[in-house]
Amino acid sequence: MKNKGFFEWVRLIDFSLIIGTFLLVAYGNLMVYSASYANQGDPFVLLKKQLIFTLLGVLVAAGMAFFNYSWLRHYMLPLYIGNVVLLLLVFFIGQTTLGATRWISIGFFNLQPSELAKIILILTLGAFLADKKGNVQTFSELVVVFAHVGLPLILILVQPDMGTALVLMAITLGMLFISGLRWQHALLILGIGIIAILLIFQFNLLREYQMDRLMIFINPSVDPMGAGYNLMQSKIAIGSGNFFGKGLFSGTQSGLRFLPVRHADFIFSVVGEELGFFGALILLGLYFLLISRGIAIAMSAGNLYGTLVATGVSAMWLFQVLVNTGMTMGIMPITGIPLPFFSYGGSSMLVNFIGAGLLLNVYANRFK
Amino acid sequence: MVKLDDSIQKRLVVLEAIITVVFSILLGRLWSLQVLAGEKYVEMAESNRIRTITTSAPRGVIYDKNGEILVNNRPSLAATIAPSKLKNKDLMLKLGEILNMAPDEIKEKLKEKTADPLKPRVIKYDIEEDVAVYIKEHSFDLPGVEVKLEYVRNYPTSTIAAHALGYLGEISEEELDKKDEAEYEPGDLVGKSGIEKQYEGILRGGKGSQEVEVDASGKIIRVLDDKEAIAGNNLELTIDANLQVATEKSLVDAIKAAQRDGYPEAQAGAAVVVDPNTGEVLAMASYPAYDASKFIGGISSKEWVRLNDKSSNFPLINRTMMCSYAPASVFKPVTYLAGLMEGVVSYNSTFNCEGKWTGMGEDWPKHCWNRAGHGLVDLSLGMSESCDVVFYEIGYMLYKKGGELLQKWSREFNFGRQTGIDLPSETKGRVPDIAWKKRFNEKYPEYQKWVPGDTVNLAIGQGDLLTSPLQIVNLYGTIANGGTLWKPHLVKRVLTAEGEQIHLFKKEKIRDVAISKNTIKRLQKELRRVVTDGTAERAFSGFPIDVAGKTGTAEVKGKDDFAWFACYAPANNPRYVIVVMVEQGGHGGSIAAPAARRILAAAFGFPQTGPMSVVDNSR
Repeated sequence: MKNKGFFEWVRLIDFSLIIGTFLLVAYGNLMVYSASYANQGDPFVLLKKQLIFTLLGVLVAAGMAFFNYSWLRHYMLPLYIGNVVLLLLVFFIGQTTLGATRWISIGFFNLQPSELAKIILILTLGAFLADKKGNVQTFSELVVVFAHVGLPLILILVQPDMGTALVLMAITLGMLFISGLRWQHALLILGIGIIAILLIFQFNLLREYQMDRLMIFINPSVDPMGAGYNLMQSKIAIGSGNFFGKGLFSGTQSGLRFLPVRHADFIFSVVGEELGFFGALILLGLYFLLISRGIAIAMSAGNLYGTLVATGVSAMWLFQVLVNTGMTMGIMPITGIPLPFFSYGGSSMLVNFIGAGLLLNVYANRFK
Repeated sequence: MVKLDDSIQKRLVVLEAIITVVFSILLGRLWSLQVLAGEKYVEMAESNRIRTITTSAPRGVIYDKNGEILVNNRPSLAATIAPSKLKNKDLMLKLGEILNMAPDEIKEKLKEKTADPLKPRVIKYDIEEDVAVYIKEHSFDLPGVEVKLEYVRNYPTSTIAAHALGYLGEISEEELDKKDEAEYEPGDLVGKSGIEKQYEGILRGGKGSQEVEVDASGKIIRVLDDKEAIAGNNLELTIDANLQVATEKSLVDAIKAAQRDGYPEAQAGAAVVVDPNTGEVLAMASYPAYDASKFIGGISSKEWVRLNDKSSNFPLINRTMMCSYAPASVFKPVTYLAGLMEGVVSYNSTFNCEGKWTGMGEDWPKHCWNRAGHGLVDLSLGMSESCDVVFYEIGYMLYKKGGELLQKWSREFNFGRQTGIDLPSETKGRVPDIAWKKRFNEKYPEYQKWVPGDTVNLAIGQGDLLTSPLQIVNLYGTIANGGTLWKPHLVKRVLTAEGEQIHLFKKEKIRDVAISKNTIKRLQKELRRVVTDGTAERAFSGFPIDVAGKTGTAEVKGKDDFAWFACYAPANNPRYVIVVMVEQGGHGGSIAAPAARRILAAAFGFPQTGPMSVVDNSR
């Protein structure tokens, strides 16, 4: 009886997801330290903060084992309203850094509501789509879905936080795809997307730095000393890593500060430089494992809501990994999208752990 | 377990396929960056972090012939900036305030294009100690700005021999293109004139290089490799500093005396002292002079304009060898020798000077400087009294003989050619001849024909003849030593930084002139007579050493007369040959000869200096 209970309990836990996540954050914390120890002042300052958020994240994920995720489905409206209110709050009491207003100070740390918005959107959109029985067949339903996503998305776009807005789009498309998106509608979305991009250029809606980043993506040699500098330095860092890298803590591009924001947006470049193709392969392997587990969990979920939530989380991570690492290698435009579990940043770490917690929850409740 | 809809299952499989594709793309890109193109990026990363700093070698010291230091080096605190920071307007403003310079001025300093935008370049030398400390303490606010200890030129003897020594300046773009790129970089100091330019390769030494690791802001983290600079070699000149001082002073005094004596336009001049037995230049003075120390750290554009303006009489020009003038009567020895060598006159020839000469016909009269006439004169008196009629006659006879004989003998003494002195930008002067006149008047056919008067003018050192004072020194040196034309030179020895001799410059013969010893001896006598009984008698009355020489007073259209005196002493065993020339200074005998006397007094160590000027109306 006791033994059977233990096995029952063991069957509820996705160990590969837990181990994968653990390896990722351990790897990530190590790289945050490697990317920041040479900075002025306390060499451990960033690592300490990151470790604290890692622990907080673990606690949050563990806390999520105490309830069934399906319960969240009933709170779609309050969650949605809470999301919008938080995003609105940013405009009134937000902190402005480098021209963007993204953070709300809550005592010991700055909360980034746009990060939280990703996970809340997964939950509310999941509930919304699950109510439709996973079928978005008509055009009007599609419009309602985009209205659902549109409000938080616009609030994030105007902060401005183009990167997170794009993540929301990726989540939406991923979940829509699972909800039986028709190919005609997919084409329609594609068409609207193209028109939107044309309009953005027509009316010069991009900020100057965004325009610069795009131009650099198209032609990296435009301005090697100015805006193209970051991309160039990142490519040099990764490329010069060769197969086995220069060794942990031995990156010259990162240690001598040629790499910009190396502890956050460009942390993948540090991996590439110090641990080479080998280290980057392991990292990408861990992500592949993590995201594939997400899809497997989506497949095994006990209900449609679980499938949608697991898909949303997987889509979020896939998109972030693609855009972030792609950016550091020059195959994606530069946007401030963090690498999940890896880039330095509290809000991002918490949100990813919530995502992992949700996946574990969906997995644990797959038989109900 | 609730079975999911088949279609959802299928779509999740598609999603997993998409994931696989995404990761394959990322891995492919990684492979191409790290493994395929890895070496290229390794190189780029290395050039990011490794910087080669070249350290300039201490430039060679320049000594006079007695070992007195004329030019050496002194340490100077210099503010430098990485050229890439020039675009930072805030930084420029801040730095301008600290260094007391306009931001434009800073940019002006770095106008030469640079190979490396991160390599620091000097924007100001000789900054104050407290400014240097301030910059170091505020290095965080002043990215790319550094203080370096540099060595700059130092002139212990002040401005003496400025023209011979020359000055340094930042290498120009044209010079960079010409010189070996590996050795020279923008911002390098190179000799721009004088010895500094001529012996650049010897003085300069070899740069040192330091390989350092820098961070993104250009801050040096550690030194990887250090190769010390090799000091430049030292030069020992033939110049005698004491005689140089006396020569410069005598020249200035002569110019002042000329101004006092009614020649207010006398503003410039030249004086040279050479050893007639070797060609060694013992003193070389050009007035106005300049202060080479003003060029340290780059001369201000205002000062540069002043130095190159007509109103300041172009002080950068070395008038002893970069300029050529009508030599007038100091040229007469050439005519004398030509006449004798060609046999158109003999020692016994006599001439009748009535003050006016109509040898070329009544329509073409020429005058002797002495309008009253010298009466019956022989060749010797013609020289000592500088009688123009005698030389008109000789010139005309040479013309009639044909074959441009006077020009031929002029060239025998290297007129119309560079003396070959070891200084840059030497003038060739000009010996006018038929071919030259035709070329020169290309656009004026009526003036192309060589006429008898041209040769007659040449015979008295006027007309289109142009010579540098140094060429005249060469003429008198050759007469003094009995017929050998030595190449004048300024550098005696090349020494290592430790003082060991590497090279000795021996005297270099241009040629033994094709004139018989007796003829030269005769000329020597005539020149001695100029000083004892002739036009230079008053200037040298009571001088204890026997001097031989010749006065000259050149007519220049639209200007006052140019005063010349050329001499050597002691007359029977010459050690010094001297030429003094004062632009618009009046008569050679009254202004230039006394100056030469004072120089000789200094050379022989006499306390007395002689008169500043005497009365002489000859030409």
